[in-house]
Amino acid sequence: MENYSPLLALSIFFIVVALLYVLFRPTKGWFWIIRKAFESSEKVIIEDVLKQLYHFETSNNRVDMKTLVQILDFKNTDIVEAVKKMTINDLIYSESDVLKLTEEGRDYALRIVRVHRLWERYLADKTGIHKKEWHDRAESMEHRLSHDEADELAAHLGHPKFDPHGDPIPTKTGKMASVHGVELPLLPVGSVGKITHIEDEPEVIYKQILAEHIYMGSLLKVIENNSTRIVFESEGEEFKLAPIVAANLTVALIEKEVVIEDNIARLSSLKEDETAKIIGISKENRGESRRRLLDLGFVKGSNVSIDLLNPLGDPNAYLIKGTSIALRKDQASKILIKKD
Amino acid sequence: MKDNNIDNIIELSNELRWQIGDEFHDNLTESIYADAADIVKDSVTTQDGEKRFRLDSKIDKIVTSKIWGFPIMFLILGTVLWLTIVGANYPSSLLASLLLDTVHPLLQSGANSVNMPWWLAGFLIDGVYLAVAWVIAVMLPPMAIFFPMFTLLEDFGYLPRVAFNLDSLFNKSGAHGKQALTMSMGFGCNAAGVVATRIIDSPRERLIAIITNNFSLCNGRWPTQILIATIFIGAVVPESLSSLASLLAVISVAVLGMAFMFGVSWALSKTVLKGEVSTFNLELPPYRPPRFWKTIYTSLIDRTLIVLWRAIVFAAPAGAVIWLISNVHVGDETIAAFLINGMDGFGFLLGLNGVILLAYIVAIPANEIVIPTILMLTVMVTGIGGGAGAGVMFELDSINATGDILRAGGWTLLTAVNLMLFSLLHNPCSTTIYTIYKETNSVKWTVVASIMPVILGFVVTFLVAQVWRLLF
Amino acid sequence: METKVKSACDTCALYNKDGLKRLGIHTDNFDFIVALAGNPNTGKSTVFNALTGLKQHTGNWPGKTVTRAEGGFEYNTEKYKLVDLPGTYSLLSTSEDEEAARDFILFGKPDVTVIVADANRLERNLNLVLQILEITDKAVLCLNLMDEAKRNKVDIDVRTLSRDLGIPVVPTSARFNRGIPELIQTISEIASGKIVCKPHRIKNVPKNIEHAVKTLTVQIEKEFPNIPNSRWIAFRLLEGDKQIINALKTGEFL
Repeated sequence: MENYSPLLALSIFFIVVALLYVLFRPTKGWFWIIRKAFESSEKVIIEDVLKQLYHFETSNNRVDMKTLVQILDFKNTDIVEAVKKMTINDLIYSESDVLKLTEEGRDYALRIVRVHRLWERYLADKTGIHKKEWHDRAESMEHRLSHDEADELAAHLGHPKFDPHGDPIPTKTGKMASVHGVELPLLPVGSVGKITHIEDEPEVIYKQILAEHIYMGSLLKVIENNSTRIVFESEGEEFKLAPIVAANLTVALIEKEVVIEDNIARLSSLKEDETAKIIGISKENRGESRRRLLDLGFVKGSNVSIDLLNPLGDPNAYLIKGTSIALRKDQASKILIKKD
Repeated sequence: MKDNNIDNIIELSNELRWQIGDEFHDNLTESIYADAADIVKDSVTTQDGEKRFRLDSKIDKIVTSKIWGFPIMFLILGTVLWLTIVGANYPSSLLASLLLDTVHPLLQSGANSVNMPWWLAGFLIDGVYLAVAWVIAVMLPPMAIFFPMFTLLEDFGYLPRVAFNLDSLFNKSGAHGKQALTMSMGFGCNAAGVVATRIIDSPRERLIAIITNNFSLCNGRWPTQILIATIFIGAVVPESLSSLASLLAVISVAVLGMAFMFGVSWALSKTVLKGEVSTFNLELPPYRPPRFWKTIYTSLIDRTLIVLWRAIVFAAPAGAVIWLISNVHVGDETIAAFLINGMDGFGFLLGLNGVILLAYIVAIPANEIVIPTILMLTVMVTGIGGGAGAGVMFELDSINATGDILRAGGWTLLTAVNLMLFSLLHNPCSTTIYTIYKETNSVKWTVVASIMPVILGFVVTFLVAQVWRLLF
Repeated sequence: METKVKSACDTCALYNKDGLKRLGIHTDNFDFIVALAGNPNTGKSTVFNALTGLKQHTGNWPGKTVTRAEGGFEYNTEKYKLVDLPGTYSLLSTSEDEEAARDFILFGKPDVTVIVADANRLERNLNLVLQILEITDKAVLCLNLMDEAKRNKVDIDVRTLSRDLGIPVVPTSARFNRGIPELIQTISEIASGKIVCKPHRIKNVPKNIEHAVKTLTVQIEKEFPNIPNSRWIAFRLLEGDKQIINALKTGEFL
């Protein structure tokens, strides 16, 4: 106690706090970095190589060693070492510098893809993790779940067909549903389609799509399409995207025969004194939250109107099937209506 | 053989599920509602169509209006709180004079007349009985006023509107609007506030509400805040302003508690709780006139007495411990003195002292006995006159005399400020901890809810103490 | 306190007023189990209290009764144990409340299930009613808050409703004890088998799903010939409900 001074006490305190921060701050803390270094073993590298090759093959692109090293975030020598080992184990072979998957390698890659997509689906349906984090978490989980655990997970989720981005999830036996549609920039002006897939890589572009509040399963109509921008209308709102962003949206054309509901809008755009009929709930509203809304009567055909406006602007209360239910704006924007 | 068939059925169901696609649940719910609509069309006729019933929507327009919504809300909740704190004074002192000043001496003389050994009488009467009596005297009146009033508001249907009005504030910190109500309930009693979180049906937001409920100053802590503010804060300003200054100090502590509630809610929702499922929906039920007497009766039985009973169960052993540590000697000093000496250094760093820390440890079961314990220990350690003997908690009628004892124990304005802060930011009482465990069914969240506020309390009082000493 | 209004049934020949004893929480040696289900905010607890003479409190909040309350009454020398299930909007989701309610109706095998509905918001309430009717065929609809409905000018044709649903429908105002005698009489008649229900089964199911359900139902009935709710089990299997799958495996449906 003799040499106590408040200044000294404060300094010690701040040093401890700073130390804890350096060690444990999210993702960049030393503790996490060191832990990650331990995890990125040879297995991880091999699996990532397989996955990359698989993705390149399905998009009909070719990969050689050079591109592979550029894409993957590991030490070059480690990758070369891993590729050597994989060739010996008959997972891959090279054909005039182009790396290719063997039958066995493709099976293995599919299994990794299966776990990745299942886990994204799990995060979307059963947890509250924000969609920005799904991809990264699935990236590390795909190396950890065993085959049996993946099957159990699939059963737990009710054997889903698609992941939350619209990518098909391979079954145990490698069966996969097909995704219909083409990249949005390829659609001519005036065409109508439904968003069937939103690519979550690269992250920068994905974040931009999220920020625009573009949802899976939304119907859209292309208004303008040129080399500088693509403009489309969806759910009563207009969206403008750069072609490079729009290319990450897959859209399935809807045939002329199908009657398209006109003036579809989002519930969040409903004004006081207006009434509307519910068309459905967007695919973006998932899991427990979606079930809740359905149970509360937000189903196709229900009449809805605004019951009470909130003094602070959010949430508003909607009158549905005789009861007043308050929903936040981000929920209301995922419920589609047709105004009367 | 049979198992085989069942496996086949399950396999078949998986195959069929694959065929009919992911929209089964949606389709089924839609079918059920379509059936419901058909049936209703057959048998129900209404004159108003689907309109909400008129009186309800009139009330709603007023209580959620931009101009009147918030004033009405503050008026109602403020009145409830004010009535509780002010209204409880009289019955509390009545109970105190009955249980502490009349029955306690009677018991003591009764024990003397049957020649009960001093240690048994001390243990039972000065320890166990006194703690229980104290908890009843301080806790029962405010709860008996607060809970029925709150329950009447609840039965009428007003409370969901409060949640509706305030939701966007809570939404910003990742919480649910209904937390406004569990928080208000916490001003009465944290354990009751934790039970009240059942109204929040989203797992993440419910956990947030449970863990942060302790930041609502419960009525076991209001008297401490008021007493210390009156003695120390009121004394720094001219006498004409002293009651205003102490009132402001207490309100600031309560408001600081709310600030911590929002801040910690936000931090929790962004870190440890971000994986929990989060949903939102808030039904605004129709107003129903409450059945006055029935509500009062049931809220007394269901809420007040149950919470009181739990508090008594925890307070009794605490009283025993308090008596024991101040009467059992190790070497030539009591356990209490030994512990106080041991914690004095740490207490000093926090701008508190060993007595206060020990009082908060033994008074985990009930915040109500913190001040009596502090007084008893202070008298014991300093050896000044007054008090009722080792291990016998007491409180003085005169605020000045209480202040004198505390000052004799080395208290300064800093000690008082930090005690008020620490009273806000420390672990929940054991009743609340037990309730948290029962509601969450998880050791992990119980530990987080118990430890996190103490750590915050240590950090805050530590920082205040150092800065204070640098400045003054 | 409200003045007690004499119910028409209080004096009628069918209802034996002296045969009723409210047993409060004393529910030993009961003859029948009665489950009480319903949406939140329908006055379910008031009905519970009116039947048992207990004074359980629940606020004007959705989802307040979380813990299961039990009580009992005796009517015509037979004892009934009443179990108050958590108030839910549905049984299809997986929240704790809904699971508790669902499990009791499914595995607790109540002799009668009383479904309390708000007469003012029947359409919304029917969501739960129709789901329960897929699980059990011994049910009665207690159409509560009739006093409010009258004030709000909502008129319900009880006979038609009863015919459409295939179960008895008893209008009540539990707050004022109106209709409770009729409810008790109906409960006893269902329990003793005097009334046999032919409950409504969900109709508006899309073709592809109906086909899948039929295929599964046939298989389930082959395995469990006496099961009353094979169709509902098929629904749950198609949803991938793990609990039901496990229950099938362990034979809890037998």
